[in-house]
Amino acid sequence: MEMTEKIEETAREIGARVKPQIEEARRRIESLNTSAVAYIKENPGKCLVGAVAVGYLIGKLASRRG
Amino acid sequence: METRSDNPPNGRAPGDGTKKLGRKMEKVGQTAETVWEKTRDSVSDIGTSLDIKGRVQRNPYGTVAAAIGIGYVLGGGLFTPLTARIVRLGVRIGMRLAVLPLMKQEMAELMETIEDEDGKSKGTGSKANVKRTRGDEP
Repeated sequence: MEMTEKIEETAREIGARVKPQIEEARRRIESLNTSAVAYIKENPGKCLVGAVAVGYLIGKLASRRG
Repeated sequence: METRSDNPPNGRAPGDGTKKLGRKMEKVGQTAETVWEKTRDSVSDIGTSLDIKGRVQRNPYGTVAAAIGIGYVLGGGLFTPLTARIVRLGVRIGMRLAVLPLMKQEMAELMETIEDEDGKSKGTGSKANVKRTRGDEP
């Protein structure tokens, strides 16, 4: 019984310690996503040209390797 | 006395070549301007017909991914092992996403039918047993 209680307590402690970090990471990812979407919407031309360039480079690298 | 500049050896007036060159340059400039305007118009026409801004507003990540794909094809990466690998991975994920729910449904239906048949056979079996016991009774 004592062992089970100890394990439960440890798990709870770990959960309490990790939960805020997970929340923080989630918030950061959400804000990053929001800013990325806003940037793409504000500068569609730049982003599309950049994306085409990136794709072109990847294609070139892939064709050289292949 | 006639000087060389008054009467040049080829019989042309001294400013003739320059004037012709100027006219030609003007013509080239006009043609370039027309070509530029036409290109600009056609680019803006393509832009309006594809509705790129609208697409970016509606689905920013999808449009960027499509642009990366276009660049990848332009870069010559279409018929490469990397493409084969990506396609294989996509097919595998698609199969999992599409086929697994169907398989689950089929399995659930199969299990239901098996359970129903089991229930029926058990029910009929017990009735037969009852009849047999009744028939055996003296």
